[in-house]
Amino acid sequence: MQTVLFEILAAAAVITGTFFSVVGVLGFIRMPDVYTRLHATGKVGVFGVVFLLIAAVIETPLGWGKGLFLIFFLLVTGAVTAHAIASAAYHINIPMEGKGDAGRDSGDTPPPWEPRA
Amino acid sequence: MTGLFNMILYVALSVHIILMGVAFVHLWHGENAVDRLIGYDLLGTLTLAVLVLVSLIYRQSLYIDVALALAVLSFVGSVALAKYLADDKMF
Repeated sequence: MQTVLFEILAAAAVITGTFFSVVGVLGFIRMPDVYTRLHATGKVGVFGVVFLLIAAVIETPLGWGKGLFLIFFLLVTGAVTAHAIASAAYHINIPMEGKGDAGRDSGDTPPPWEPRA
Repeated sequence: MTGLFNMILYVALSVHIILMGVAFVHLWHGENAVDRLIGYDLLGTLTLAVLVLVSLIYRQSLYIDVALALAVLSFVGSVALAKYLADDKMF
């Protein structure tokens, strides 16, 4: 009985992970500009793979320690990577679509960027 | 029950491989460098997902080690490329 329950849980986790991956890649394709596209790909990295890993932790024997560590690692590095890419895009003045914040309307030149100390 | 679960795994694997193809096509036509960098990062993550699915299919935790190494390297690669794009020097 126990394995059937685990397999149902793992199947649900795999389906959820695949759903988030599909949504993330769809966002990567359809989003108008770089920053929103980055937001979409973050979902794939964090939610898609983490749910698959939850299924892997449930299913694979002796793999639960590595799986949990990989989940923790992905949750930490997902944010760092997204921030690094977004600041790089902002740094080389890639315009934002739509009504940007007051300082940076889309299309016009952004404020002068003083290099980091 | 296990057959159904294996079938779900194979469907998920094929969906991820199709997603990788779609992401690669969009990456190929990327309009600027950061767009391609995001595509590179997304492809790394999707490969990670494929590796985890393979470890699920074969019920072996060996492939999770491979996924761990890939996660670390793709993270370092993405951050280094982002810094290179921003400041024209990597470290």
